Amino acid sequence: MKLPLALTQKQLISGLSLILAALFLLSLFIGSNPIPLFQAAGDALLDTPSVIALIFTEIRLPRTLIALITGATLGLCGAAMQGLLRNPLASPGLIGSASGAALGAVCMLYFGLSSAVPMALPAGGMIGALAATLLVYLLAGREAGTLTLILAGIAINAMVLALISLLLNLAPSPYAVQEIVLWMMGSIANRSMADFQIMLPGILLGWFLLMGTGRSLDALTLGEETATTMGFNLPQLRWRIFIAIALAVGSAVSITGAIGFIGLVVPHLLRPLVNHQPSKLLLASAIGGAILLLAADICVRLFPAGTDIKVGVITSLVGAPFFLYLIIKSRRSLL
Amino acid sequence: MSRPLFIALLLLICPLSSQGAEQPARVVSINLCTDQLLLMLADPAQITSISYLALEPNSSFMAKQAKQHPINHAKAEELLTFKPDLILANEYSDRALIGLVQKLGYQVETFPLPSSIEGIQGNITRMAQLLGQEERGQQLIKQMNQRLDKIAQQQLAVRPKALFYQPNGYTSGENTLQNTALQLAGWRNLAAELGIQGYRAIDIETLLLAEPEQLFTSSYAPGSQSRAQQQLLHPALKRVTAGREMIEIDYKQWICGGPMIANAVEQLHQSLPK
Repeated sequence: MKLPLALTQKQLISGLSLILAALFLLSLFIGSNPIPLFQAAGDALLDTPSVIALIFTEIRLPRTLIALITGATLGLCGAAMQGLLRNPLASPGLIGSASGAALGAVCMLYFGLSSAVPMALPAGGMIGALAATLLVYLLAGREAGTLTLILAGIAINAMVLALISLLLNLAPSPYAVQEIVLWMMGSIANRSMADFQIMLPGILLGWFLLMGTGRSLDALTLGEETATTMGFNLPQLRWRIFIAIALAVGSAVSITGAIGFIGLVVPHLLRPLVNHQPSKLLLASAIGGAILLLAADICVRLFPAGTDIKVGVITSLVGAPFFLYLIIKSRRSLL
Repeated sequence: MSRPLFIALLLLICPLSSQGAEQPARVVSINLCTDQLLLMLADPAQITSISYLALEPNSSFMAKQAKQHPINHAKAEELLTFKPDLILANEYSDRALIGLVQKLGYQVETFPLPSSIEGIQGNITRMAQLLGQEERGQQLIKQMNQRLDKIAQQQLAVRPKALFYQPNGYTSGENTLQNTALQLAGWRNLAAELGIQGYRAIDIETLLLAEPEQLFTSSYAPGSQSRAQQQLLHPALKRVTAGREMIEIDYKQWICGGPMIANAVEQLHQSLPK
């Protein structure tokens, strides 16, 4: 497909970065009460910070940072997954990585392990994400068509959801059962800097592993055999991407819950803009994912205070119709 | 054996106290709040059954005394087997159940959930009358009032600002026992000043902007973990109160209105800055 406006990769990335920077600033301005932000930022440097500084550094900044790295993780992992499986519907949400991560985090949080060892929370998320992803991959088979992969994903997602609700029912806390919405929809409200620090190492490690996979993914567009004869080690690539996704998605979801559709929608929207080149799509999708999640979280905060709308509601409202559009578009090739 | 005859026989067997008032001999309570007043006011022999929640040590102030009595789960069939001549319920008890046992001819007395000291006194007086234990009721009210009066006499010149913060960010505004207790102890309740009525979630930014000097909480399930409960650990909460830890007040002192509110008020009073 030839684009009406031809963007170079540099122009695209700087354009997206500008939008992201604008949203980042906007996100810091939006909360339940208007506060003078620049004064707050200045106060934050004082020895005894004022209340507005506290709102800036302890409430708005962590929320914005968490939205940023979670969105980027979901966008990046969606792009890597679609490139690896050469399947337009592959994404952390549909393939079970996100719900698997939620299950792992639920195991750690509600039964007291993560309060003793904070890093147990993302670790649980990583193990859950890896297990669910591998299960779907094995269930669908290596050369799975779009439909088979989606069906395997639905089966594993359904089972994981059932396990999550079972665990939350068995959990000792009386508040646990209501929190299934949080895990299935995702939310960034009321998170702190400590949460950001907990999720950061796994996410950075995952990003780092994924960044080097661009060339292999480009080769893979020519087919597995061609890629192998070109000297790319595909089993190693597969493991590398699965582990990277487990590290990044596992860490992110263990703090925010499973936020849907970002990993599916963002790579699709950006693919035509990078001439369908997986290597270029990775970075663009990461920035695009951060943009989408930040925008969605800003939307959530525009509702009057006290209406606790989960950010996943917004991303799903945007993403689900898009998903339907993809299905209709690909109906010919499926049948 | 008919029911009136059975009761008459029971009345003959059970020694009556000196009051002369008619005392129900088989009282069944189906709600934690009426359980506690019943346990405080009745002769143990009058108590036929109390609800299972009365045994739960975190929510029941009378958990120890409750152990010696049979429990019920507020199910109609189970209540009838106790052959009660008085059933005690709460305004939030199952309407359908109460309607059913009333239709079957049992006397049901429903108590409101008080949010003020007057409400608590009213409930104690009414319970004492129903049980034929007026003297004990008056005694209980007198003791509670004495303790509250003592605290009312030792107030600070400037009331410091406090706020209740519960899992999921809930706080207690006007018309709550927490509000009543905070005021009696000598604190300002910021939630009430912000116009919050009853129990409602408060946004964390709004909480910080109100600048409470002390936060209080009251755990329903201490030791268990959830996102809702983790919200109390948000580092900003401790920083806004200048490093003061959130103070925990036992849940059982005000889940139901009763004379134990004096314990909560004393505890709140002791946490005033020196």
